[in-house]
This record gives sequence, C-alpha cells and structure tokens, in this order.
Amino acid sequence: MNLSQLKPGSKSRILKIGSVGPLKRRLMDMGVLVGEEIIVEKIAPMGDPIEIKIKNYKLSLRKKEAAEIEVEECV
Amino acid sequence: MIDLEIKNSKKQLTVAVAGNPNSGKSTLINAIAGTRLQVGNWSGVTVEKKEASFKHGNLNIRIVDLPGTYSLSPYSQEEVIARNYLINMKPDLIVNVVDATNLERNLYLTVQLLELGIPLLMALNIYDESEKKGYKINVRKIEEMLRIKVVPTIATQKSGLENLLLEIESFASKPKNEILPMLHYNNDLDNSIKNVVEEIKPAYEYLNENKLRWLAIKIIEGDELVLKEFGIKNRNELINQFCGHLIKGHDSDLESLIADARYGIATGLSHEVLEKPKIQKEEITEKIDRIVLNRYLGIPIFLLAMWLMFKLTFDIANPFVDLIDGITAGPMNRWFAFLLASINSPAWFISLVTDGIIAGVGFVLVFVPVIFAMMFFITFLEGSGYMARAAFVMDKAMHGIGLHGKSFIPLLLGFGCNVPSIYATRTLENEKDKILTSLIVPFMSCGARLPVYVIFSSAFFPGNGGFILWLLYVIGIGVAVVSGLIFKKTLFKGENSLFIMELPPYRMPTMKSLMIHTWEKGKHFLVKAGTYILAVSIFIWFLLNLPWGVENKKDSFLGIAGQVAAPVLEPIGFGNWEAASALITGVIAKEIVVGTMAEIYVDNLDEPEKEELSFGNDIKEIGIGFYDAVKSAGINISSTFSIATITAEEDSGLSTLKGVIQTKFTPLAAISFMIFVLLYMPCIITGVAYKQEFGTWKWYGISLINGFGAAWILSLIVYQGGLLLGFGG
Repeated sequence: MNLSQLKPGSKSRILKIGSVGPLKRRLMDMGVLVGEEIIVEKIAPMGDPIEIKIKNYKLSLRKKEAAEIEVEECV
Repeated sequence: MIDLEIKNSKKQLTVAVAGNPNSGKSTLINAIAGTRLQVGNWSGVTVEKKEASFKHGNLNIRIVDLPGTYSLSPYSQEEVIARNYLINMKPDLIVNVVDATNLERNLYLTVQLLELGIPLLMALNIYDESEKKGYKINVRKIEEMLRIKVVPTIATQKSGLENLLLEIESFASKPKNEILPMLHYNNDLDNSIKNVVEEIKPAYEYLNENKLRWLAIKIIEGDELVLKEFGIKNRNELINQFCGHLIKGHDSDLESLIADARYGIATGLSHEVLEKPKIQKEEITEKIDRIVLNRYLGIPIFLLAMWLMFKLTFDIANPFVDLIDGITAGPMNRWFAFLLASINSPAWFISLVTDGIIAGVGFVLVFVPVIFAMMFFITFLEGSGYMARAAFVMDKAMHGIGLHGKSFIPLLLGFGCNVPSIYATRTLENEKDKILTSLIVPFMSCGARLPVYVIFSSAFFPGNGGFILWLLYVIGIGVAVVSGLIFKKTLFKGENSLFIMELPPYRMPTMKSLMIHTWEKGKHFLVKAGTYILAVSIFIWFLLNLPWGVENKKDSFLGIAGQVAAPVLEPIGFGNWEAASALITGVIAKEIVVGTMAEIYVDNLDEPEKEELSFGNDIKEIGIGFYDAVKSAGINISSTFSIATITAEEDSGLSTLKGVIQTKFTPLAAISFMIFVLLYMPCIITGVAYKQEFGTWKWYGISLINGFGAAWILSLIVYQGGLLLGFGG
C-alpha cells in the first residue's frame, strides 16, 4: 500500500521510500523517513495534492510523489 | 595599514543567520537590523540576499541572512547558496534561528550546521507560541547536549534580541576555539567516519579536525558537489573499505543512513528537552484550515481572496497612478518648459526634456504605487501562511499545464499589470517554475492594452465592446496555456518540479516586516527601471524628431522604421507605416500605441492650449490631487466590499482618432490589430522586471520572440481566415 491510496484521517507508518534522487532527498530532509508515522489530514478540493501530518507539522505533496512512499496502516 | 587600524580599534564580526523557512528568521533580522538592511540578490541567481552592517559596543557586526532552508543538501538553489556561503566565506559565527514550536525538524538543520565546524548560537524563536501550546523546553539541556549557547527569542515582540546581541558580544570577546566539540551519531557510523578521516587526512592537511570530519561525512553521504569541489575520486574505494558493514547492516543507501543519523540526534534531543502537554488542544491553524481547505469552500474562498487582493492592489494604486501621471504630464512639464524657456533654451531641447525625459520619468513613477501595493499584499499572503494554502488548492489545475500551484497569483496579477506579476514569481521556489510562469505572464492582458481595445472596438463594434473585450482576454489565456505546454515540452523538457511543501501555521506578519519588504522592492524598482525607461523614452523621442527639423512624421526615423516594418504586417491586415510606427512605440507601454496613432493620424489633435503658468495654482492642484487620491483610494477600498465594476474610460478627445481609424482599417483588420496588440510583446518595463528577477535579458528576449511569433501567427490565421470566409469588406 502506498501513501496516495490512504483516506483522510488514516494513520500509517512508512515502510519504504521507493524513489531515488532529488525527490527522495527532499523527502528525507523534510523528515519523511522509514519508520515515521504519518496521518493523512486532507485532500485538496480538486483531488490532488494531499496534506499529511508528520513529525508534528503539516506537509503537502502531490499524489504522484506520495505514491513513492510505501506504508502500512496502523491502528 | 588603515584597514588594520580599524580592525584593531573595532573588532569585525561576520554573523551568518541560518534557519528553516517560516522560523521567523526574516522578522528577527528586520528587528535587529531594521532600516540598515540592504536587500539584493545572491550573485547570478534570483534568490534574495539581505545583509546589514552596524556597530554594537566595540564590535562592527555584519549580519548576512542566508536563504531559509530545511537542510544543507544540494537539493535546491537556496540550499546550495547557504552552503557555499558557509563553506567559502567562513563566517565567524552562525546564528541558527529555530522555531520552538517545531523543534525536531528545525534541529535537523542545526545538526548539519554543527557538522560544519563553525561556532553556532541558537535563537530559539517563536518562544511565545510554543509556551502558549503548553510546551516546556529545557533550554539549559539543549545547551549542555549540543554544547552551544541558546537564547529564547520572540522576534515579533523584539523580545530576547538584546540577549542575543549580548551573546554575540561575549562570543567575540572570548579567544577563538580552534576545535569545536563534535556531534556523535551511532558507534558504527562514528567508527566509519573516523576511519575515513584517517585515510584522507594526509591529502587534506590544511583542514582542521572539524572540517575533516565534515568532509568524511560528505564522502560517505555521497554529496556530489563536495566530492567535485575537493577532487575526491576514490569514494567507492573508501566506501568499500570502511563502510561495508554500514550498507550491510542497514538495508538502504548511505545517504538516507546519514539522514537517519542526523534525525536520530534531532529526535533524541527533542524528546529529551521538550515536554508536551498530555492533551493538545485543537489549534487555530486547524480551525482555519478546516474552512479554508474545505472540499467545497476551498476554491471559492481562494477565488474570493484573489479577487480581493487584485481589487485592493489596483484600487489603492490607481488614484495615485492618476495623480502622478497628472503631475508629471501637467505642472512638472509646464515648470520645466517655463524654466528652460526663461534661460533661452532652444525649442528642441525643451521638447527633449519635457516629451522625452519627464515623460519617461512619469512612466516609471506611475508604476510605483502598483508595485508597492502588490508587494505589500504578496508579502502579507506569504507571511500569514495563506500562500502555501493557495498553492495547495490550485496545484492540480496549474500542474495540468506544467505550472506550480503558486503560479496562479502572478498570472492573476498580470491582468492588472505584467510588471508586478514578474516580481511576484519570486514566491515560486523552483527556478524552472519561476521562469515558465513569467514567460506566459505577458499573455495576461494588462490594463495598458485596454485603451487600444476600447478605441478599436468602439470604432468598429459599438454595442459589442464587452464581448470583444471578453474574447481578447480569453484568447490571451488560451495562448498562455498553449505556449506553457510548448515551453514545457521544449525548453524545460524532462525537468520535473516537486511539490513537497510545508503548510506553516497561520501567523500575523508584523507591520514592520511588511513595510521593510514593500519599501525595499519599490526602491529597487525605481532605481533600476528608472534608468532603462529613461533611455528608451529618450531614444523614442530622437526617433520621432530625427533627422533634424523633420516636418512630416513619415520622414522621421520612426516613420522610416515603420515603413520598413510595414511589409511584415501586410499579411495580417495593417501593413501601413502608421500602424507599424505606433506598434514600435508600444515598447515603452502599450497604451502609447493609441497616443502615437493620435499624433500621426490626427496631426493637430494633441496640441495643448497654452496655459498661464502659475506655480501657486500648480501647487494647489497637486495638493488637492493628493487629497483626492487618498480619498478615492479609501472609497475604492470600501467599494471593493460592495459592488464595483471596472470601467474603461474613453477620452472624448480621441473621438477624432476613431473617425480616422475607421477609414484606415477594415473591421477584420481591426480585430487582427487588437489580437496583435494583446500578444505582440511585453513592454520594456516588464523587460526590466525580467532582468531584475533573473539577472539576464535572455528570458525577456525569449518572451519577445514568443510573443511576436504568437501574435503574428494568430493574427494571420484570423485575418486570412476572415478574408477566405468573406469578411474582408
């Protein structure tokens, strides 16, 4: 399962970051690391991008970017 | 020698200020440096550089504001600039501004700054908000664990800044420590770093222990810029030799291993020093976002906000624009003419000064109110946190045509005036997004094109003016979309921008920050644009008045240029020298096209009546004018909230021109001409904005070619297509 498939309100943990290069580095710099917990907060009115909460702050990213982030849902 | 003496009497200290975006870094710097701030650009790039020099006690402090970054990895331009400055310019001290409400992520940058081996002082900013949230931060413990000084600050209230300066002072008075304490990651990684250090030490003897360790970390991380700079070619060998167990033990690449290690420190530290309340109450930001980013309300609210900003910008600015226009064209013109005549200047010189120079100055000045108003609102949108939301809401639509969510605002502003909208592209982080957006801005039909539309549509399509206007705006947008797509497929092929963007908490920007920013931008524009416009305005004057004593406009250089250019315009319906000449003068600003036409077609139309010169009356006029401008700006603001309609005024004096145009153009040619004026080129002031934002004339050049090409092709299709369909009459 990847981050772009989750619904608002769902909580998950990062298993793997699939992409390489600038996207991966940027995600790492923003604290999107393996093992981190993510809450999907909102989806933009037009369906993309999405807003997540990570490390206690809010981050937005496009679904295409979120699709690179493999997660498992946690309860 | 003199230099040395100054250094002895006053100690020179360079302080680099680093921090995350939205950490209140700008506010802090504004509060410390105030009007001493000098705003410019980092050389060769579009990123803003702020610095200030001032005396404090017996210190000469030079503060350099580094671009706000989340990290020092070479992901973005900002990061590379910050990094290069820290490494190459070797500041004496880093002041790291840390957002106390977002400790963990901010500390990630702190860890990277500490790796550099430059002394660091932490300003724990936004301390009030973090207290309000019920956070308890053990400041002493941060100091102990990182072995640095930490000063809590509230930049918006100027609180803690004295302490910060005291700490800087006491740092300067202490003897310099050559080797600073180093951070430790985990044992495995530390061992590998140590081994790499030992291995590279002989080759880099000039580096101290801190720098060697930093270089070793960069080698393991695989930072290509650093590897290249230090000429390190044997990274693979070093990795195989010393880091094999790291790769094996850790199922990922070394880059993320280092990032993990850094975050390990940041996370560990924030757990140690930060105590959060058990139950966190819902914050104001979440309440606002629930409405502002709501599925159904998000877009209407965004559109409303944009409409308000657009209206306010131009409503506040317009009365002042009219006032400035009136003063330069009226009293100022008269005074200079009088003054010059009284010292027996020749008529041509008076004409040069009044029609060339003063008119040129007027053209620059009229833009100032718009630039000021626009910068004020843009700064407010960014500082308040709404800009990120606007991008979030609009990104899907803008991304569809290869742009970024934040592109929407500059494009919208373009309908008022293209000049501020080129400046507004600076809110975009990615260089490619910035350039692409600014390249399609000129297709947004600005206010200066309106007089042309009004004259032509009222001459040929009375009663249908509204529809023609609407059509022209839509054509502009259409061409913008198409050319955006073409640029994306050609010039920016394969470049993909990211949309990993923080949605910062809503905050009220301080008036001081807003004012400083607005003022700096306006001042910059005045100086830069002034020079160019003046030159172009004088140049056009000469075109009109050379060769000496030219009587017939057709024989002036401008007329000759028009005759040369006319054949190019033949296939699109207006291949006469009058139209061509008018279009050439439109380079200053498109509304001039009408003025030139009037001058050429209707020879004596613009001959002003000789007025009695009276300084008293003029001063009174200016005074009343200013009062009126303030009043109508006020009325405009209030009417923004009721019903306000944009009306295009029509000068009654131009009705003669209308009559002449009707005989010179066919209706079809008139449509073709309007489309051509809409698209053909961004004015020179827009060009100056390009130059200022991107540091080169290249993009203005491309914009000119693109505009002219689009204009010609579209006008050709419309005109020739119209002829084929039998609308030629």
